[in-house]
Amino acid sequence: MRAIGKERLLKILTYTLLVSWGIFALFPIYWTITTSFKEKLDVFMGPKYIPWADFKPVLKWWKRIFTVEVSEVIRPFKNSIIIATVSSLVAMLLGTMAAYGLTRFRFKLGRLGNQDILVWIISQRMMPPIVTVLALFLMFKIVSEKYLIDSLLGMILVYSSFNLPIAVWVMRNFLSQIPYSIEEAAMVDGASRTQIFFRIIIPMTLPSLTVTFLLCFIFAWNEFLFALILTFSDARTVPILIASQHFQRGPQWWDISALSTLAIAPVIIIALSLQRYLVRGLIPMRK
Amino acid sequence: MKKLLSLFSGKRAGRSFLAPTVLVLIALTTFPFLFSLWLTLSKVSFIGGLSIHFIGLRNWARLFADERTWNALSNTLLIVVIAVTVEYVLGLGLALLLSNTKIKGRSSFRVLFLTPMMLAPIAVGYMGRMMFNYTRGPVNHIFPYLGLPALGWLTDSGTAIYSIIIMDIWQWTPLMFLILLAGIETIPSGFFEAARVDGASRWQLFRHIIFPLLAPASVAAILIRVLETFKIIDTIYIMTGGGPGISTESMTLFGYSLGLSAFDLAYGSTIAFSLFIMVLVISIVLLLMTRRFQELTVQ
Repeated sequence: MRAIGKERLLKILTYTLLVSWGIFALFPIYWTITTSFKEKLDVFMGPKYIPWADFKPVLKWWKRIFTVEVSEVIRPFKNSIIIATVSSLVAMLLGTMAAYGLTRFRFKLGRLGNQDILVWIISQRMMPPIVTVLALFLMFKIVSEKYLIDSLLGMILVYSSFNLPIAVWVMRNFLSQIPYSIEEAAMVDGASRTQIFFRIIIPMTLPSLTVTFLLCFIFAWNEFLFALILTFSDARTVPILIASQHFQRGPQWWDISALSTLAIAPVIIIALSLQRYLVRGLIPMRK
Repeated sequence: MKKLLSLFSGKRAGRSFLAPTVLVLIALTTFPFLFSLWLTLSKVSFIGGLSIHFIGLRNWARLFADERTWNALSNTLLIVVIAVTVEYVLGLGLALLLSNTKIKGRSSFRVLFLTPMMLAPIAVGYMGRMMFNYTRGPVNHIFPYLGLPALGWLTDSGTAIYSIIIMDIWQWTPLMFLILLAGIETIPSGFFEAARVDGASRWQLFRHIIFPLLAPASVAAILIRVLETFKIIDTIYIMTGGGPGISTESMTLFGYSLGLSAFDLAYGSTIAFSLFIMVLVISIVLLLMTRRFQELTVQ
């Protein structure tokens, strides 16, 4: 009897803790979304928590973003979509090739082998970006200020290399699980390496490629420091647009919240629908 | 085209698959890294066209004499130590709670818990500013009900850094949780059954089975978070801009302000490079410590 009581207490405690953390995790997101529907007065007289009960939600800030301010807002979003998409595609393709090389061939560079090459690739992502970004800025200025600084091309180059290590890491985990015998059979039939790569490996790993693409996309979409240093007007990305808001407008939380909501919406949608697959990509499970 | 394709056959095929990645990384990461090292020994001037002069260790001497360096360094270390410790403890706790397969709605909890780490840190910075707003923020509104005083949070140089740490914990405990939960799930269930047969208590199960077997996952999670937290800039840039004064300035923010805002690229690179050296030393120390720790526990 006493043991059952203890079990029950533990269960209640577990759920209480889980639900509390859930509220803690959700609340700032909830706050951002609801603030974009608040009147100025409801923000300044705040805090107001529950729509309809505490405050009357209004759509006017959202309407303003899609009408009056659309010319200012649309460009960074377009830039971010182009830069994140293209750079993720590049990182995905090159990363998959490298991962294929690392799992199917044995490299020897003096005493260094495949594992060392992999560690070198990953270490490029571990380095603090501030170390390279100032030098990159100067390099781009010297090579071609016109085509590389504050340009989509420059940002695509930078984000491709920034995401490459992740793509290699994720695809290596997936590719090492594909049995080699399929390729051997194809080779016996006279298929070349390129044929195997494009006709067998790519179609077989399509779901993993999607995961790699989405992870790279999220990283590129959220990235701030490179964009802060390498763009200032034409190629500004979404994080730069949002970061510049409080200098331009002061604490206009309704506008900032609406823009933040727009910035986090695609990522939240990806996360809610595909999270299981994304997680499996980042962390290799032994099962 | 045929010539290009022939690169991917025969003995050298492997190299052709690896080469693009290696070339891109050398051009856009390794080369800038070396260039940055050279910049730390130079003076960069834009007057009358770009010129880069070698000036020896003068930037480094300035760095060590600069009070702002030590301020940024201690801020960064404080954030790393507190944030990563708290994230590890909370992440481990949540992972243990959710590793119980009898919990209903496990996958929903998991999706919910992981969401913060996917969001743009810039947006998280604004969330922090709204949460901790002195008069209109929910934190100061709720605190008095819990018997706690309303604080200045972002405007007070004593608490500003803790507001940033709290947002970092909010955003990154999920990653710790994720890695540790994956680690717990790979522990073979035979261990748990054997322990139950032997009549081990929950605490003994954790202390003697889960925690030691989780060591590799713990090391990986802590190392990743330490490396990432050393780079912190986004949330600080939005929440305090390094202020009040320079009381929350991190190394990366310091490097950015000097390097680009003040346009002293050479000194900015020196700041950045000192951060790199520190990150390198700390990760080596952490790895050596864990190796020593594992040797001890094996004995």
